Amino acid sequence: MNLLVIEDGHEYSEFVAVFFRDWQARRATSAGEALTLLAAAPVDAFLMDLRWTQGDEAALTGDLDGTATRLFAGDRARARHYLLDHQGTFILAALRAAGHHQPALFINDLAPRRLANLRTLYGDVRAVPRFDAAAIRGALEAKAQ
Amino acid sequence: MQAEARYREGITRLQQGDDGAREAFAEGVAIAPMRDALYLELARACRARGLLPRAASLYRTYLALPSVPEREAAAGELAAIERDALVGIFDDGGPAPRAPRAESAWARVPLGVVAGATVVAGLVLLLVVVRRRRGETLREIATASPELQPAIAFLIGSLRHELLKHRLLVLADAIAALERGAAEPGHHAFVLARLFGGTPLVLAWAGHLGAFIRALGPRFDLSRTDPEFQRAKRALDRISRLAAPIHDARPHALRELAQQHRQLQRFDAYLAGIQRTLLRQQIDDGLLAEVRADITAELAGRPCTITWPAPMAPLEAELFRVDLVLLLRNLVRNAYQAALAGPAPARVAIELGTTLEATGEEAVWISVFDSHPGTVPLHGARGAAYRGLDLVDRILARCDGTLEQIAGRDGYAKGLRVRLFGAAAAGDGAAAIGDVG
Repeated sequence: MNLLVIEDGHEYSEFVAVFFRDWQARRATSAGEALTLLAAAPVDAFLMDLRWTQGDEAALTGDLDGTATRLFAGDRARARHYLLDHQGTFILAALRAAGHHQPALFINDLAPRRLANLRTLYGDVRAVPRFDAAAIRGALEAKAQ
Repeated sequence: MQAEARYREGITRLQQGDDGAREAFAEGVAIAPMRDALYLELARACRARGLLPRAASLYRTYLALPSVPEREAAAGELAAIERDALVGIFDDGGPAPRAPRAESAWARVPLGVVAGATVVAGLVLLLVVVRRRRGETLREIATASPELQPAIAFLIGSLRHELLKHRLLVLADAIAALERGAAEPGHHAFVLARLFGGTPLVLAWAGHLGAFIRALGPRFDLSRTDPEFQRAKRALDRISRLAAPIHDARPHALRELAQQHRQLQRFDAYLAGIQRTLLRQQIDDGLLAEVRADITAELAGRPCTITWPAPMAPLEAELFRVDLVLLLRNLVRNAYQAALAGPAPARVAIELGTTLEATGEEAVWISVFDSHPGTVPLHGARGAAYRGLDLVDRILARCDGTLEQIAGRDGYAKGLRVRLFGAAAAGDGAAAIGDVG
């Protein structure tokens, strides 16, 4: 399994390094970095962190000003929080828009309706509720959702 | 820099015996993790103040870091603490013998009466202490004070994501393997790095709990008032004290680590359960019927036809019930007043629905159409005729909703549409507590 881990910290990639030593994994911290890595070599799947807690405004994916205007009466600070809270989905949207349709796995206890919505939007989206190596391996090695 | 300053202030205050040290550390934790080099300073400050167990824990944290400049000195200082603690076990603590006293009046009271009075006094004291200590749980506060729910949701989310998920829950498989004696290469180092690298767990906890108090007031001293928070704090304290034997992979320490980790998993499930109940209001046929009855009574037979939504599956939005009812009433009231002021026939229609957001969550929208051809001022002073919309604005500001004017249709000249954050697809679920091994 060739995996691209997309996160703002290191927990996901460290977890993969410990529990999936038979996998090849690379790490990206932004949509731009992910697309650069994908241009160099393809991957079989994405392991996504949904929520960012850090990140330069310039590196965040998503329309900050548009979000501020549409959802928060122009408040850019709250719009930034919103983009951070859902950064994984915005990055996934960018990957799909660039033609990368590999399975995307979130380690997050998503509400079933939200997971169904994400599949409507982005195709093959999977989720496991917690850091569970067996469940993650099963989810990523399963056939298309 | 700001965080460093707070940490250094905390160390200085600790050295001076100043109670403000705790607050300074909590503020530092809220900004950024403490630099590795400060652990030794903090350990020495604790040692100088006689806080030997805390000092020992900090020395062990320092020594667990990958490369530190004063390892030998720190190890020697820790060894001295441990040696003194061991030697002190044999110190003579018994009181000097006293000369017998003359018999007092109490000596003539029957022993049973004395014993009974002591038990009663003890029970009364216990009740006083328990009553004083027992405040409200987080769930109770959230239920009793719904206006605090948005802030509570944010604070719970931060605690779960930053401390529980990424530092602790990520270790579940590795800790389970260590407990069974079935650890593979890398498991132990992974656990050590997550638990004892970066900000000490107890300081990270203090930072998050301090955020509750700073944001919402002393009522949110949850480590004191909520048993679940108390249990979680004890688990973190215990894990922190076990740093050295965990580092040495002692079987008893690994077993206890697993036990405390399961407690923290239960705590996470507790928080998730609360989170899912916060700020979640159904828009259903019952609520619409209530608003419809109010509006019908207001209209009192005036010639305006209002078309209400057909029976529908409930929608869930992130706002309080009282705000939702006020919102609906004022939108519909504004619409029928406009319609009655315009050309006949006066008509109003209400529609509800959801739209999908790029995040996978949903927006709930409420559209109210009317037959008056004039536009509605969406911003600035509106005058008395639109006072209800001023209230709508305030409600939307509280719940991050928006208001826009939309085109009319089918005999309706225009509409106003409110967008709200939907709750049905929002937030995390919660692992059932029974799922925790």
